[in-house]
Amino acid sequence: MKSKKNNRIIGQIIVYALLILLAMMMLVPFLWMISASLKFNKDVFVIPFEWIPKAPRWQNYIDIWTKIPLAKFTLNTAKLTVIVTLLQLFTSSFAAYAFAKLEFKGRNILFLAYVATIAVPWQVYMVPQFMFMRNLGLADTHLAIIILQAFSAFGVFLMRQFYEGIPDSLCEAARIDGMSEYEIYAKIMLPLSKPALSTLIIFTFVNTWNDFLGPLIYLTTESKKTLQIGLKMFISQYSAEYGLIMAASVLSLIPVFIVFISLQKYFVAGITAGSVKG
Amino acid sequence: MAAGITAMEKNMKRRQRKRNLVAYSFIAPNFIGFAVFTLGPIVLALLMSFAEWDGSNAMKFVGLDNFVQIFSDDRFTSALKNTIVYSIFTVPITLIMALGLAILLNQKIKGTNFFRTVAFFPYVASLVAVAAVWNMLFTPAKGGIVNQLLMNVFHAQPLKWAASSSTVMLTIIMFSVWKNMGYYMVIYLAGLQGISEDLYEAASLDGANAWQKFRHITVPQLKPTTFFVTIMLTINCFKVYDIVYMLAGGSNGVVNKSAIVLVYYIYEEAFRNWKLGRASASALVLFAIVLAVTLIQFKGEKNYAND
Amino acid sequence: MKKRILSSLLAMTMVVASITGCGAAAEQAPAADTTAQTETKTEEAAPADNTQAAAETTETASDEPVTLKWALWDVSSTVYYQPLIDAYTAAHPNVTIEMVDLGSTDYSTVLGTQLSGAGSDFDVVTIKDVPGYVSLVNKGVLEPLNDRIAADGVDLSLYNGVTDQVTIDGSLYELPFRSDIWVLFYNKDIFDKAGVDYPTNDMTWEEYDKLARSVTDTTPGAEVYGSHYHTWRSTIQLDGILDGKHTIVDGNYDFTKPYYEMVLAQQKDGVCMDYATLKTQGLHYSAAFAQGNVATMNMGSWFIATLIQKIKDGEYTDCTNWGIVKYPHADGVEAGSTLSTITALSIPTSAPNKDAAWDFVKFVSGAEGAEVMASTGNIPAMTNKTIVDIIASMDGFPTDDASKEALITSHTYLEMPANDKSSEIETVLNEQHDLIMNEEVSVDDAIAAMNEGVQAVLAQ
Repeated sequence: MKSKKNNRIIGQIIVYALLILLAMMMLVPFLWMISASLKFNKDVFVIPFEWIPKAPRWQNYIDIWTKIPLAKFTLNTAKLTVIVTLLQLFTSSFAAYAFAKLEFKGRNILFLAYVATIAVPWQVYMVPQFMFMRNLGLADTHLAIIILQAFSAFGVFLMRQFYEGIPDSLCEAARIDGMSEYEIYAKIMLPLSKPALSTLIIFTFVNTWNDFLGPLIYLTTESKKTLQIGLKMFISQYSAEYGLIMAASVLSLIPVFIVFISLQKYFVAGITAGSVKG
Repeated sequence: MAAGITAMEKNMKRRQRKRNLVAYSFIAPNFIGFAVFTLGPIVLALLMSFAEWDGSNAMKFVGLDNFVQIFSDDRFTSALKNTIVYSIFTVPITLIMALGLAILLNQKIKGTNFFRTVAFFPYVASLVAVAAVWNMLFTPAKGGIVNQLLMNVFHAQPLKWAASSSTVMLTIIMFSVWKNMGYYMVIYLAGLQGISEDLYEAASLDGANAWQKFRHITVPQLKPTTFFVTIMLTINCFKVYDIVYMLAGGSNGVVNKSAIVLVYYIYEEAFRNWKLGRASASALVLFAIVLAVTLIQFKGEKNYAND
Repeated sequence: MKKRILSSLLAMTMVVASITGCGAAAEQAPAADTTAQTETKTEEAAPADNTQAAAETTETASDEPVTLKWALWDVSSTVYYQPLIDAYTAAHPNVTIEMVDLGSTDYSTVLGTQLSGAGSDFDVVTIKDVPGYVSLVNKGVLEPLNDRIAADGVDLSLYNGVTDQVTIDGSLYELPFRSDIWVLFYNKDIFDKAGVDYPTNDMTWEEYDKLARSVTDTTPGAEVYGSHYHTWRSTIQLDGILDGKHTIVDGNYDFTKPYYEMVLAQQKDGVCMDYATLKTQGLHYSAAFAQGNVATMNMGSWFIATLIQKIKDGEYTDCTNWGIVKYPHADGVEAGSTLSTITALSIPTSAPNKDAAWDFVKFVSGAEGAEVMASTGNIPAMTNKTIVDIIASMDGFPTDDASKEALITSHTYLEMPANDKSSEIETVLNEQHDLIMNEEVSVDDAIAAMNEGVQAVLAQ
């Protein structure tokens, strides 16, 4: 009995040691970012790297707001991200239900089409897509970015895989009880797929928040531009202000972490009635 | 009798039609947007691989010329080879690391939230920062940390890592695993939440050890997640671009044959040389490979479903 | 909106039709017919826009208000855009210039995409580099300017021959307004400390090599580098074209050998920083020079403005005492031969207001624009003695006579002359440059590979 307890303690120590080692490896880039954000550009890439700057330049955190309209860019990005995430969440989880739990004609081929398109690099269809959108009068509009991001195949695929893990017997039981498919989706599937929905929110949020090439091609008016374009504005033809870029990057990570951490509470085991499957 | 069958068939057909309609109504909101704005341009772009086009002048149909050209271009064949090598190593390593990390962080221990956030960090952090830190560790200079380790502990020659054509792919693969495993860990974490505690408890009562529980409960229960992770990893590996550009691209932005990957080649053909047909042809090759891998996976998934 | 959807669907069918149509044309005549029909239909839609555009063009001849859309990059950090616009609109109050910033890093990609098809509404576009220029010309989206140049009597000889190097098949599609030349920057403090004479305006490469070595200090932790080469191939490869006998697109690169050998020897002896480290570390040349331990650095004149600004801002504290001299040259070549890059303006074929756009281009690239450029510390493409005086009198510019003299050139060669295959050639040269500098391939083998690779590209 005692040795079992000892084993447990040793096990815990190993787990923690492993985690702390990993955490250190993962956190170094973050420390680098903070350190670089407090430096003059000329000192950022110099080796040996000075982890704690002798004369920290807090000014960088002020300059980023005055050198470019960062507040406006952040607002634009926030607006786009929220709309895209909501649309993506709704349309993907809705479509995924059909792919996972309904039998219908053309299901496999349609699903394959979804997945396969993920494999086509955007660089290939960017030009025809841009010309098409411009013909619709959507060049230089936020709507274009929303349309590009909101209907991605990725979300459908992700949600479908999680629904697959939910036993069919639950749906069958509900059908016998006379529930319509829409009710089953809303009352059974959605509540059960919180971890998956959280994952989708995190990924969509991060993707839209960090999207660069899309806004770069489509948005040409200064007041419509986004955060990531703003970051690149510190890189000019003849010099790059990495001190400023890192200051802005550090700040731009805050919303991402807030979303990530606040969704953690949905990552709780055992909500699925896995026992039904037996 | 015969009339009865047709009536029943009719009834079934009607039911089937209704079921189809319900299913389509679920798919429609996403599918319409997807078909018009993504699928359409993609089909067009893939058709473009049989044409010569620069985005402005009239398109010219050239049959298989583009394919003949790219396969005789050693930058393309190098890109194809590098991408395949990269994927073969990166996919399984990342998958195993991500699963291990997820299981580790699914334990009931203090501070999981902190550790989960930290593990996700390299994925969201600025690529410049992650690459800068990486290059500090793996600098080609003899004074670099990893090179010091190699020389003093392993008594090996210092390596030039990303700067040498023989080690550049190795460096990129290690970097990629490190940067992306947190992303797939999140997916696995979500998948792990779907496994019922009861299963593990029942197994414990039967006297199963940790490995047996992992082998006979965790792995089979995670099949749909693993299917997703494998396909997304394969696709993302075949589409790798920015990591390579960051680690192996010089200040002139050119990636050498030793490290060039398919999407970089596509980018070069499309936007440096404005040969959209050749870019599309390369993409079609990429597409065909990924499709083949996906189909094999699909077969595997179906077999599992039929079990 | 409905009409727009219809017309874009038509555009899409046209694209599809032109693919399938061409393929079927050989065996299936009717299919080709339908293609032709779809094409005429879409073309009918297009002229509507054209007449509108034509109407606007005639209007601009008068004093009707007109807005020109100008594609460019780095609006916030470039000092001359607004002064140029102010100077022009002062004389043409009916014209409004709208700047559209496409960002510097992916400028050519974004511009190329924007100009694809015929739907762009840019009137003036800035051309960043020669390969970008060539690709746009090949796409047929730039207006040839020859007729307008002839009609308005623009004197191209004032551009010191640069326009000849970007003339393609007899047509010129851009007018340069900014030109940068390569010079040798040096840190006077290092020379003072070492007790070595400053570089001069007339140095051969051997003299330069000797000078760089004489101020080098390889003590670990207190290194002083006699020279610095940024990772671009231009910093080494192009030193060989300054004799005027070779170009970078002619398919034979034997002439680069002595320069590679010189730099490799310097790298081995610690005279300059190691290429592999520089490349992975991503150290920008400005940061390298600003550390105060780099004695000389060959770089373009664009760095002058950065230096002045950063010293004024208090960021650069270790290289405040700097100077420039003319680029070193090969034996028997006149001093003042150097590399140059140009920034130019073009008019897209789809521009709504071509006449007004041309008037603006002519102004910016002409004598008046040149003075505005010089007053902001940038070298205009149309340069002469007065322009040099204006620049050298800028606050923060080195006060010694040699630095001022350094801006006067005898021969300038574009870093990359206009050539159909510019971007493909660059790819080959960059790759071999990297292999040489990493010491993975011998100079001879790499040059052989360059010769073979570029000749293959040229033969296509």
